[in-house]
Amino acid sequence: MSPLSSEPPSKSATHTDLQANKYIPPWTSPYIIGVAGFSGSGKTTVAQKIIEQINEPWTVLLSMDNFYKPLTPEQRELAYRNEYDFDTPEAYDLEAFYNCIISLKEGKKTQVPVYSFALHNRTDESISIYGANVIIVEGIYSLYDPKVLALMDTKIYVDTDLDICYSRRLLRDIVERKRDIEGIIEQWEKFVKPSSVVSVKPTMYNADIVIPHGSDNTKAIDMIIKHIRKQLQKKSAEHLAHLARLGRMVAPINFNNIKALPKTNQLLGMKSIILNRETSNDDFIFYFDRIASTLISEALELVHYSPAPSDIITPNGYRITDGVVQAQEVVAVNIIKSGDCFMRSLRKIIPEAIVGKVLIQSDSQTGEPQLHTERLPKFSSGCKVLLFDAQVISGAAATMAIKVILDHDVEESEIVLVVYLASETGLRRILNAFPNVKIVVGNLSAVEPKEGQDNDTDWWMSMRFIDARYFGTD
Amino acid sequence: MSQYENVIMLPQTNQLKCLYTIIRDRNTRRGDFIFYSDRIIRLLVEEGLNQLPIESCQIQTPLGVSYDGHKFLGKICGVSIIRAGESMEQGLRDCCRSVRLGKILIQRDEETATPKLFYVKLPEDIPERYVFLLDPLLATGGSASMAVDVLLQKGVKEERILFLNVLASPEGIEVFKKKFPKIKVITGMIDQALDEKKFVVPGLGDFGDRYYCI
Repeated sequence: MSPLSSEPPSKSATHTDLQANKYIPPWTSPYIIGVAGFSGSGKTTVAQKIIEQINEPWTVLLSMDNFYKPLTPEQRELAYRNEYDFDTPEAYDLEAFYNCIISLKEGKKTQVPVYSFALHNRTDESISIYGANVIIVEGIYSLYDPKVLALMDTKIYVDTDLDICYSRRLLRDIVERKRDIEGIIEQWEKFVKPSSVVSVKPTMYNADIVIPHGSDNTKAIDMIIKHIRKQLQKKSAEHLAHLARLGRMVAPINFNNIKALPKTNQLLGMKSIILNRETSNDDFIFYFDRIASTLISEALELVHYSPAPSDIITPNGYRITDGVVQAQEVVAVNIIKSGDCFMRSLRKIIPEAIVGKVLIQSDSQTGEPQLHTERLPKFSSGCKVLLFDAQVISGAAATMAIKVILDHDVEESEIVLVVYLASETGLRRILNAFPNVKIVVGNLSAVEPKEGQDNDTDWWMSMRFIDARYFGTD
Repeated sequence: MSQYENVIMLPQTNQLKCLYTIIRDRNTRRGDFIFYSDRIIRLLVEEGLNQLPIESCQIQTPLGVSYDGHKFLGKICGVSIIRAGESMEQGLRDCCRSVRLGKILIQRDEETATPKLFYVKLPEDIPERYVFLLDPLLATGGSASMAVDVLLQKGVKEERILFLNVLASPEGIEVFKKKFPKIKVITGMIDQALDEKKFVVPGLGDFGDRYYCI
């Protein structure tokens, strides 16, 4: 009997479900483009043209210059006298370069070193890259290491005549870097030219595409951009289909993770004020702030508390035996700008709260959520993260934001999504991807509504309006 | 929850207990005392407002569709017992921006040792309003009862009075239950008892002093 046939069919079904459950953000497989060529060949110009034209929300240009090896004091002396060879592959820390690319490819938050040409050493600074959809790696040896080549989606070699490169380099070094002409010529003859011919030129054979005449070749660049766009559209379609699968999953919502506010008289009245088109901006802001306070208070119930020390005494001299203290730091993360509607109320309840922000926007044509920027603090270990969003419609933005927070070493069970209006489909999608996340919601719609109940097709469940009205930008 | 129908106690959550632990502590400085008392007061005001009725109404949504909504019914005003009760005025105004605020000053007469009414200033139309009576501590209920008597004399209906306090004693609750069964008492916590000096046990000291002076 073969092992395959012995497996009950239900098991393979579970397997598919598990795969559909896991949310894979687009940056887990960023599109990586390598651009190589001689020094002065116009690599950077080509890379910049690609960035301009593909117009992706989060594109990162990574220069190999960041990966020069730190020099020893002796080497530094040589460098100042133009006698150190910066053009051989040995001058680069190829291992660090590879580790950086693989970390980016895996979608992790990656620190890129910063090299100082003035000091000929690595600086204490580093650039942090995270969440990029497209990464362009530019440098004379970007197509050199076979391990790195394997991680690249498109490999471009900019083939410009060496004498053109030479004249460009002369101009650049004299005009921009104010170096003396003899030093430049000496360095060119001794290091740049031999390395270019011996080590750089052969990497042309590793390229998928060779651009003759460098950055002036607009036709070649146009074709490359068309190709990259096509690849990115495919990737975006896969992401959207994946999000759709998460929403369609029939697994029932775990309502233990969802805390919906009771329909009190005040909340019912305030909801009508929020939905009423006659409501003035003044009133809208005021009543949303009140709702936000209630939601934040509700979310703070989910923070860990522990018994207070037994030495607390009241002014009248009585000992408090059943005191409680908050045992967890609370960090807020806003999804710009719908989550920012909670800021004023948050500052009233936790004035000193640390606030991180993420900007996630949906593509106007496809609706695909895109991470534009993230400014997150260092999350202290064991902290509670309140993620704010005024509305959850498809749940795509919140799903993406949760993934970003998880990538910053926060426990899934310590994330609380705080939202005023949420559709059941959206919350289902979020909980299918992240079953341990907690949700505090002001109004939860139902897919199969009863009479008079909110449902997913109500207009306020399918339209973002709260932040526009709150900030007066509609 | 409280065992009396018209006595409404805030849900005794960990968060609330944490707030009380801070304001009860004699080492808590005034800044923190004010901040955390204000948070409790806000919860009391929200709970109080939830006791008010609403009625159905039709509203127009931005898309021009009508929606079966609700609107608030009835006008309210606040009446604080000077001085500690005034600490709760801002909490009420945080939820009801331009709410009218009356004031009552009651002090203990040194000769007779009974509470005596010194000053009353209330909105003219108070008989038509729901009244939020504000006093953070309900101990013996002596001055609060006197304040209620003033309100009733002015024509306020008993069932339209909501008495908000941060901390209550079982004795004070008992007084209200007997004398004014229709008044809704909204309290954050009910303590163990009163001691021989009529202080709430374990209590939080003199609320007015801690909020304004100490």
